[in-house]
This record gives sequence, structure tokens and C-alpha cells, in this order.
Amino acid sequence: MTTDQAGAVADEVRAMLAQVTGRAEMLDVSLETRLFGAGVGLDSLAGTLLLRQVQRRFGVDVAGEDLNLDSLETLGTLANFIAARI
Amino acid sequence: MIKCVVWDIDNTLLTGVYLESGADLPAADPQLLGVLRELSGRGILSALASRNPPAAAAYVEQVTGAAFAAVECGWGSKADAISRIASELSLASDAMAFVDDDMVERAEVTAALPEVLVLTPEEAAEAPDWPQFSPAVITAEGRRRSQLYAERRRRQAAAAEFAGSRDDFLRHVGTRITIAPAAAADLPRLHELSVRTHQLNSAGEPVTQADLARTLASPEHAVITVRLADDFGDDGLVGAAISTGHGGSGGPAVPVSSQVLVVIAPLIMMSCRALGRGALDALLAWLCRAAAADGAAELRVPCLVTDRNVPMRLALAAAGLRAEAGSVAPDGRAIFARPLAGELPALPDWAIVE
Repeated sequence: MTTDQAGAVADEVRAMLAQVTGRAEMLDVSLETRLFGAGVGLDSLAGTLLLRQVQRRFGVDVAGEDLNLDSLETLGTLANFIAARI
Repeated sequence: MIKCVVWDIDNTLLTGVYLESGADLPAADPQLLGVLRELSGRGILSALASRNPPAAAAYVEQVTGAAFAAVECGWGSKADAISRIASELSLASDAMAFVDDDMVERAEVTAALPEVLVLTPEEAAEAPDWPQFSPAVITAEGRRRSQLYAERRRRQAAAAEFAGSRDDFLRHVGTRITIAPAAAADLPRLHELSVRTHQLNSAGEPVTQADLARTLASPEHAVITVRLADDFGDDGLVGAAISTGHGGSGGPAVPVSSQVLVVIAPLIMMSCRALGRGALDALLAWLCRAAAADGAAELRVPCLVTDRNVPMRLALAAAGLRAEAGSVAPDGRAIFARPLAGELPALPDWAIVE
């Protein structure tokens, strides 16, 4: 995995976040932005839609591989998790 | 058991063809309208799939007075329309029936979706007598189900136009979440939720009404209900948690050692109608806070780990609960837990605790 690869994944995940939350400002969030709670405020609905899109686009089953979903801590951790598996 | 009937419009729910009728639009078919209302009263949803423009669906809603849970209008295939409706309503295709007067449409759906029960209008007229259309338990929420999904369609349309965060939207539409101890009158609905919920269900298995009644009467358990309403409508009882060891209605927290007290929640469940509306987050926040108030040091939720209840795991993770890596037991469950020291998840200001 290269940093470029994780960066490209992060850009695609930003677009997915904007779509599942309906908020265009997600296109500009930083890698350190927390996905749960303050920050993106991902809930079970938006989170499920995001994981479905990730699986469809990258073929990575985040929920299947990560029991605690710790990969969803920040945009950066999710992008790294995906990039390490593609 | 059929949970949703997808109706064609022309020469099915209407006694003619919408686009060929000029100003003199066709009336609703009285016999099928009677069937639709009877099934709706049993908690079976209605939806529309038509090659007509959306105005035809609005006309059908007007002349039938029926609440349609989902509407698909357009030139695509009816099988695709039924798949989209099933996905939107979180139903499996074997829970769907399809009624159309057109033999070609019926054949296309049968070929593409063999699990769907495909009916002619004549067969549909007799459907209320069939066992597939006769659920054993019909609750107040069940009877209102089509109405609730119609409200959901209007809510989703408003959410799509709303600029701002999810919490801003929930506040804007007057969301009210009421958390209260269960009463005996709630038992049929709690049983129904335990059967019908999958995406937001931690235990993954139905609980009989008798077992629920025993749990409610037990001094060691607390049964907590969640009701949800907003300006679009009242969803009624949408979720519940069973826990051991709350003050008030429950008994003492379970002592793990002389210092550590643990509250365990063996069942948390929530209707998928409540997805995205903060109800499960509020319930988990309440559980954490009630357990902490009782002096417990930890909240534990045993949760079945499957690909069906990923939304439940997302909510547990968002509330700060974690399982030990590789700790999934042979029965498919893992214990998700969080310490109750420090900052706890916040209850939204629109939650009412009774």
C-alpha cells in the first residue's frame, strides 16, 4: 500500500460520505475527522449505506473483517483499512 | 408470510387505463380496493409498480385513500421495480406479492424473481382467505404499517431537501423519543418486534410473549421501551431493551467482583423504521447512563455477529462498546462492553425519559 493509494481511497470515501449523509461539506473533511459522534455523525443507517458502497466499490467487507468496526474511527483509519486490502 | 403487496395500476387497482381515459379518469376497482384495505388492516403493506407517470400514482392514492409504502413509476421492468421496493422496505423477495392483469408482466416477474408470489387480479380477490396473508399477531402498529411507511416517504423527501446535519433535521421535524418502562399492554408489540427486527436486533432470535411476560415480572430484569414520533406522524413503540440490574424496575447490578458491578443487556431491538432517527443511539445512551447511575462500572451487550445486523454493531460501536478481538463464541455471539467511567454518550435533547 502506498500513501497515494490511501489518499485516492480517502477521496472516494469522502464522496460516499457526502452521498450517504446528503451533506456536500463531507467532500472537504480531513483524514483526522471522526466518523462517529461529533464530526461526521455517522449513525447506523448512514454507516450501513457507507459500508455497502465500500463493499461494492472496493470489494472490502469491513463489517465482516472488523468485529469492532474500529476502522471507522476516522476517515484516515477507514481509508487505510480499505487500501491495505485492495 | 407476505408482508407487502405490489399492485399494478391500469386494469388492476383502476377499472381502466389511466393515460387512455382523457378527462374522465377510471375509478378504483371496488373489489381489489376492499382486498387492499383488508390486508392493510392486517399489517400487510401496499406498494405501486406502474409504467405510468408519477401523476397516476398520486391519482390512485387520491381515489383509493390508501397509504402506499413505496411507489415505483417508470418504464423499467416490473421485476426491477419490485426489487427496489423490497430493498427500500428491507423485505426479502419471498415476503412480496405482485398483482398485475398483464400476463407478460406476470411472466417477467416470475422468471426474474421466482420467490415473489405473482397473482392475477382474480386470484388477489381471494387472497385474504389464504394463510400467506393471515399473520397470527396483528398489533396497533401493524395495522398502521402502510400509513407509517407513507409518512416515512414524506419524511425522506423532506430530509433530502434539508440542508444541515441529521440532528438539525431531527430537531426541525419535531422528533420525540420517549423512553419508559414496559407495561403488560406492550407485550404483543414487544413479541412482534422480536420476530420482525433483524438489522437492529442484538439477540437474533424471537422471544415468545410468555417469556417476555416472565421477564417483565422478574425483579432481576428491566424492560425498557422506546416510542418515536415527529411532525410527520407517530410510529408508536419502535424498540426495547431488556437489561439486568437497573435501579427502580430492575434488581441490583450483577456483582462481578467485590468492586465491579456490571449491567448486562441480553436483548436490544429496534424497528428498521427508526433507522437514521436517533432512537437506537438514544436507547444506548440511556442504558449507559442508567447503569452508571446504579453504580455499575461496565455495560455489556451480548450481540450475535452476522451480516444482517451490521446496523446494530454500528450503533454499539458509536456508543463506545467494544468486543475483544477474536472473541466471537461458537454460538456466533460476542460480548460488546464499555466502561462507564468518564464521558458517557449524550441523550439528545428531544428524548423524554419517563
